[in-house]
Amino acid sequence: MRLVDIGEAAPGRDAWPLTEAQLGLWYVQRIDPGNPILNASQYVELRGPLDIRLFCRAFDRMAEEADSLSLVFAETAFGPRQRLDAATRPRLQIVDLTAQPDPVAAARSAMVLDTATPVDLARGPVSAFTLYRLGAEHFFWYERIHHLAIDGYGIVLVTNRVGEIYSALKAGIEPGPAFAPLSQALAEDAAYLCGERRTQDHAFWMTELSGLPEVASLASGRAVSGASFHRQTVHLPAALFRQLTGRADALKVTWPDLLTVLVASYCRRFAAVPEAVIGLPFMGRLGSKAARVPCTLMNVLPVRFADMEDAPLAEVAVQGAKKLMACRRHGRYRSEQLRRDLGLIGGQRRLFGPLINVQPFDMPPVFAGLDVALHILGAGAVDDITFTFRGDAKASLMMEVDCNPALYGADDTAAHAERLVAYLEGALVAERLADVPLASPAEIRRYVRDANATAHPVPDVTLVDLIEATMRSAPDAPAVSFEGRVLTYAELERQSRALAEQLACRGAGPDRLVAVALPRSLDLVVALFAIVRAGAAYLPLDPRHPRERIQRILASARPVAILAGLAEQDLFDADTLHPGDWTREPSGATLPVPQPVHLAYVIYTSGSTGEPKGVMIEHRAIVNRLEWMRSHYSFGPQDRILQKTPATFDVSVWEFFLPALCGATLVVAPPEAHRDPQAMARLIRAEAITTLHFVPSMLSAFLAAPESEGLSVARVFCSGEELTPDQRDRFHARIRGELHNLYGPTEAAVDVSYWPATSEDRSAPLPIGWPVWNTSLMVLDEGLQPVPPGVAGHLFLGGVQLARGYLGRPDLTADRFLPDPFRPDGRLYRTGDLARLRPDGAVVFLGRSDHQVKIRGLRIELGEIEAALMASGLLREAVVMARADRAGDRRIVAYAVATAALDVEALRLAVARRLPDYMVPSAFVILDALPVTANGKLDRAALPAPVIEGGQGRPAETASERLLARLYRDLLALDSLPDVEGDFFSLGGDSLSAVHLVLRIKEETGLDPGLGAVFEQPTIAGLAAVLDRAGIDHGLGPIIRLAEGEAARAPLFLIHPAGGIAWGYRHLARALGGQRTVYGVQSPALDPDVALPDSLEVLATAYVDRIVETYPSGPWHVAGWSVGGILAQAMAAELEARGLAAGMIAMLDSYPCECWRAEPEPDETAALLAIAGHDPLAHPDLTTRAAITAFLRQGGSPLGSLPDAALDGVIRVVLDTNRLVRGHYHRRFGGTVVHVRAALDHQDRDLTPGLWAPHVGAIDRVDVPFLHPQLTSPAATAEIAPQLARRLAAFDTEKD
Amino acid sequence: MTITLERMRADVAAMIHEQPQDIGLDDNLMDLGLDSMRLMNLILAWQEAGVDLDFGEFAEEFSLAGWWRAIEAKRARG
Repeated sequence: MRLVDIGEAAPGRDAWPLTEAQLGLWYVQRIDPGNPILNASQYVELRGPLDIRLFCRAFDRMAEEADSLSLVFAETAFGPRQRLDAATRPRLQIVDLTAQPDPVAAARSAMVLDTATPVDLARGPVSAFTLYRLGAEHFFWYERIHHLAIDGYGIVLVTNRVGEIYSALKAGIEPGPAFAPLSQALAEDAAYLCGERRTQDHAFWMTELSGLPEVASLASGRAVSGASFHRQTVHLPAALFRQLTGRADALKVTWPDLLTVLVASYCRRFAAVPEAVIGLPFMGRLGSKAARVPCTLMNVLPVRFADMEDAPLAEVAVQGAKKLMACRRHGRYRSEQLRRDLGLIGGQRRLFGPLINVQPFDMPPVFAGLDVALHILGAGAVDDITFTFRGDAKASLMMEVDCNPALYGADDTAAHAERLVAYLEGALVAERLADVPLASPAEIRRYVRDANATAHPVPDVTLVDLIEATMRSAPDAPAVSFEGRVLTYAELERQSRALAEQLACRGAGPDRLVAVALPRSLDLVVALFAIVRAGAAYLPLDPRHPRERIQRILASARPVAILAGLAEQDLFDADTLHPGDWTREPSGATLPVPQPVHLAYVIYTSGSTGEPKGVMIEHRAIVNRLEWMRSHYSFGPQDRILQKTPATFDVSVWEFFLPALCGATLVVAPPEAHRDPQAMARLIRAEAITTLHFVPSMLSAFLAAPESEGLSVARVFCSGEELTPDQRDRFHARIRGELHNLYGPTEAAVDVSYWPATSEDRSAPLPIGWPVWNTSLMVLDEGLQPVPPGVAGHLFLGGVQLARGYLGRPDLTADRFLPDPFRPDGRLYRTGDLARLRPDGAVVFLGRSDHQVKIRGLRIELGEIEAALMASGLLREAVVMARADRAGDRRIVAYAVATAALDVEALRLAVARRLPDYMVPSAFVILDALPVTANGKLDRAALPAPVIEGGQGRPAETASERLLARLYRDLLALDSLPDVEGDFFSLGGDSLSAVHLVLRIKEETGLDPGLGAVFEQPTIAGLAAVLDRAGIDHGLGPIIRLAEGEAARAPLFLIHPAGGIAWGYRHLARALGGQRTVYGVQSPALDPDVALPDSLEVLATAYVDRIVETYPSGPWHVAGWSVGGILAQAMAAELEARGLAAGMIAMLDSYPCECWRAEPEPDETAALLAIAGHDPLAHPDLTTRAAITAFLRQGGSPLGSLPDAALDGVIRVVLDTNRLVRGHYHRRFGGTVVHVRAALDHQDRDLTPGLWAPHVGAIDRVDVPFLHPQLTSPAATAEIAPQLARRLAAFDTEKD
Repeated sequence: MTITLERMRADVAAMIHEQPQDIGLDDNLMDLGLDSMRLMNLILAWQEAGVDLDFGEFAEEFSLAGWWRAIEAKRARG
């Protein structure tokens, strides 16, 4: 649907539809009518002998010419319209402030106040102009015009025109030609809409924008424009401007284009995306009749800038300038239309990110004989961030950075301004942009140098030296405890030494490996200590891993010995040394002595090539890590540290060895206990554990177990995956103790960073924090240049803890361990993790940059799984993804193309033979071919979610969701009800249908979620949540607004019939609305928690309280259908008794209670069916309440979409009505009652209005040719509404 | 130096890296890549040569022929 067609029937000859340019702004304002952000304002500072009389003449002449300044706007059934209203033509206000103590300050605050005042577009005026006299020869000329009437270029025209006329009058000559009329610009706009040019432009943009990426901002989140913005103004150094123009000349591009290209590069790099989409404000007037019409034509063009930073700057500049030129050539095509074309309306979808606005000739107007300066106050909405450059065509360039406060702080705004200047300075002298760091020199100093100043002395010793020192100094202290058995340090010394001697005999020594495959036990600890004391490095193997994988590891690591239990022996071809064969008493033989540069352990991790890779950690690295931990967390002999992490996971390294650095006790958990939260909690209590480790997902499970409540431990460490703020908060709610978040890959000796996750910590996300001793953390971009805080980059690690490399794989080592560009001789490890810095320097983990994933803390290379799939010999192609189709649920899914008919189970078994269980995919999807992108790469996004997971979203469930699903379907003409993920705009909605949606929601629920809510939350689930939060309790509130009307007229209150709900009056309400507000009064007993009313009289009294509260001044118009009419009469009597003015009192086919008392008790279930609009006789089978409820649920009845509790409420109100009516005795009301009689009904009974004679003063009779149940239908409403409207109007006149 | 149509054509050509003979008098200069920045530079130069038209007047018509008509008309008005 096109929103505007100038040819379509306009409601009046002098009213025009809005142009496309205006419509976008109109909706912005419509969403938030009180928002003054669209007030464009500026002031011209005039110094010198101003001729005020002449100035006024010049102004008046300009105001005569500039039609736009006297526009007014109206919302009509055909959409918004505009017309000229000469009565709103602006007059120049003259304010003399010379008597003020500080005239300049007084003028400024008056201007700021005026700019912040919203404009009534319907009444106008849309513009205001004031001349402030500040001194004899000093003036501010203030201009404020709504953006619907004018754009930035238009303001320049208006301003310059006054200067031109003033100067001409002063010189006594005739000024240049007047502005062209607005109609000329509108006609041209309309012609463009139907013209060939537009078709060409459309084609250009569709090509240009095909495959448009998700538009990135420089901030996270998305917000509609606020009521204000942050601004940072910088006068760029003259040298910078000279360099800019000089470089532009050399490259044969214009300097504004070069500047735009450089700022776009800054934005792209700051957003850390492969491609930035910049908004380019475009005046849209070149070659146009509107070139001399002040009006709103400004367009914003989306311009894509891809990453070309490795190319020479010359090429980047020329390409960029060409791109800008091409986009401008098609710049009349509206960005609003592009958003519709591309389905980018509402929600998170944007057409462009930051705006870059270069105005090279931002010169003040010329007023003869005066010094003139121009000051911009408000230039329109700031959705995100806008970089404006104003040049004076000579030597100076000013930059304004404007930011939406919902997305940026004032400090962010200032930081962007400062950093961008540094970036431009660097870029203008660089050969390639890739060589220019995004971070400013000050940021590099602070975040690369100062934050990593972690030098700390650590003794140049080995792990052996440290543990043997403790064995000597605390021989009788308990060293290890396991299932009630305890080894003292002396016993550990003796046993480990004996085994070390035995291993040394077998060839163990420096840089040799000894494999260990033992379950958790005292012997496991003895084995590890023995291996390192023999000078060798230990290689832990998990006996639960498949034999094939273990074999491959052993083949590459070639250990001199294997320590394994009897149960594990089968895993090995080679001889193993099992604990029964260990020497337990030392002989005193000399052991090989390792040096700090020798290996302490080798741990294998998942490798992307399909081969696990062995990470070699030297003594000096792990000594640094352990000494830091001991000192930083003040570990001492009193500590009892739990060992529960499998030895193949490097977290176990500190569990095993930290106690031996400080004489503490290692408490070894029984095998498998680490998987059982209850067993863990028991163990922690029984063993008085002071310190333990959790992978965060296990911590979550542990916190969910009842046994963890009230535990007290000194410290809990988390690492291995992201610790969430929720887990932190739940931890502190249940457990007394410290919580610490640690981070590090196996390649950097367990952990390299720490963050205290205290109960006061409110960080979200939770950082991985600060570097440990002698360690550096750096966030760098692809070109290894530092990025500033807030920008995603690759996390690199440096320092003493880095691994020596991968065992036997110098190629992999060279790939991941690079020379440190910031320190000679240093190395950097590329973690493959994405991270960003917080302004305080703490590092935040963002995810993986490659295909490594972590599931339950276990590091998995998807490539290794793919290799295992291919090794099955059953497949032609395979690809593996970790899918998070549902929040918090990450699963490995394998996609495979089979060579022949394939049994998925056979594939699963083949893979399980090669991989540990946690790496075996949880779903296998067999495809005919893998989806590929246009350039032949695997299209990961096109891989389907496994079918077992079902569709995208669940079906609508709650009442609000069901309501919205129905409205979306109806308004958007969908074939079926959308699910809760259904997005109004993706499904085809646009701004106009969003307005209709809001109206329908209002009609059905009586409440207005606001148009803005639809744009912010376009999905059914999202919008339903907004409705529910707003307390829109499905239109069951005691008073609902059925129709909006003029506040000056007394509203009409429509009282519910037997069902207790007033929605049935929606047609009547719409017919009477507009004139006056119409409310529905509903039964309080709809809420099942509210007791049923004692009597109808009590109910009527309560209703009178309610309507008086709603509309305190009176008179009170009350009407009702059926039982509602009985209530209306009772309320009228109550109003009269209170001395309050009853207005029109009307009943739709109601008859006094005495008519009903004599009747037999009605069938309750039949009554219920009747209320819901069904003929009870047609459904004789529905005899129970449950059967009726089920029936209503199936059908399309609005009652059927109520939540259970509400439907229960309706049913109980219906069933109680009979009691209320039969127990009611009328009080007399002395006034007139309008009685509308269903004249076609009551053939069998003599029900007439006259029956009311004893209870009312007078009866005003209206007969309509309908049956009783039809009275609220659209057809009956068409007859009834005018009758009521006429009677209501009589009261309005009376009041006047 | 007074302004001539040929000088204007040459100036425009230089500005958009084209040969003067490749620019037709009725060509839409926007299609040839002339933008407001370049136009403004041209206008500043031509104003020094005595052309008394402002940006809006140049922007309305966007061909050499259109500009020349405007300049002639202005001259005729005196």
